[in-house]
Amino acid sequence: MKWLDTLTERSTRNLARRTSRRSLLGSLSAAIVGAALMPLLPIARGAAADNGSTGTHPKPNDDPTSCDYWRHCAIDGFACSCCGGSQSECPPGTEMSIVTWIGTCQNPVDGKHYAISYNDCCGKSACGRCQCNRNERDTPLYVPFQSNDYNWCSGSTKANVPYHCSTARVIGEAK
Amino acid sequence: MRSRVALVGTLLILTCSSAWSFEPSMNYALQCMGCHTPDGSGTPGRVPAIRDTLLSFARLPDGRKFLVQVPGSSQSMLTDAELAALLNWMIETFSGTKAFSCFTAAEVARYRSQTLVHVRAERERLLHTSR
Repeated sequence: MKWLDTLTERSTRNLARRTSRRSLLGSLSAAIVGAALMPLLPIARGAAADNGSTGTHPKPNDDPTSCDYWRHCAIDGFACSCCGGSQSECPPGTEMSIVTWIGTCQNPVDGKHYAISYNDCCGKSACGRCQCNRNERDTPLYVPFQSNDYNWCSGSTKANVPYHCSTARVIGEAK
Repeated sequence: MRSRVALVGTLLILTCSSAWSFEPSMNYALQCMGCHTPDGSGTPGRVPAIRDTLLSFARLPDGRKFLVQVPGSSQSMLTDAELAALLNWMIETFSGTKAFSCFTAAEVARYRSQTLVHVRAERERLLHTSR
């Protein structure tokens, strides 16, 4: 059995001569840090590209048929631009509600804040296209005067008029 | 120095002044106009017209309380100073006169702490009184 002792001793001494005492720590740390850094590598993620109609919208744009349109920052409903109308006009066959929810949105072009009136268009069944639900700075119903969660069509002179879509009219610079 | 203080004091008395983040006209747009419409005429039978009653209410002690305690005012997210400035702006804009005593933040705070429950009945009573 002496040859085994000699072999073990030689190989151990060899190993000790070639490697420093801290090398194990070094390589182990490198492995741990490397494993932790793996998820940070630039990898295309399909989920990150999801641009649904809800959630936060960091990049407002100029397309009135998009929920990310800058005037739509507090919209809750179907954008009239997708329903045969425009951001300021009701589609044919509908009537603009008199009562409305008003909030402010920042125009990305000039950086100024504008008061936006989300007049609902009423008189036809729900449009169903471009359902936008951004609701920025809208309050819950228990803070009623800052909440947009109403059917504003029911506030018009005619009772029980169906809701069709929402406009987003600029009524002035907010200052 | 003293004369300058006096001058500033006089200017404060001459105008209904206060500090606010938005101008009162914008606060009207953001807090009131959605229902009361841009000219304050409301929707008959649904949203009360305010343009013709503001001044007469502002000249009655109970009317001044009502203007602050009505839920749209008292429960708004405005500070007492902002609400005072907004009420002053509304009264002046819709009545076209400055002949009324301005609301101050202190007066608004005093009324705002009391809740008005029977809003419609109180409004009817005031309309009757101011006639």
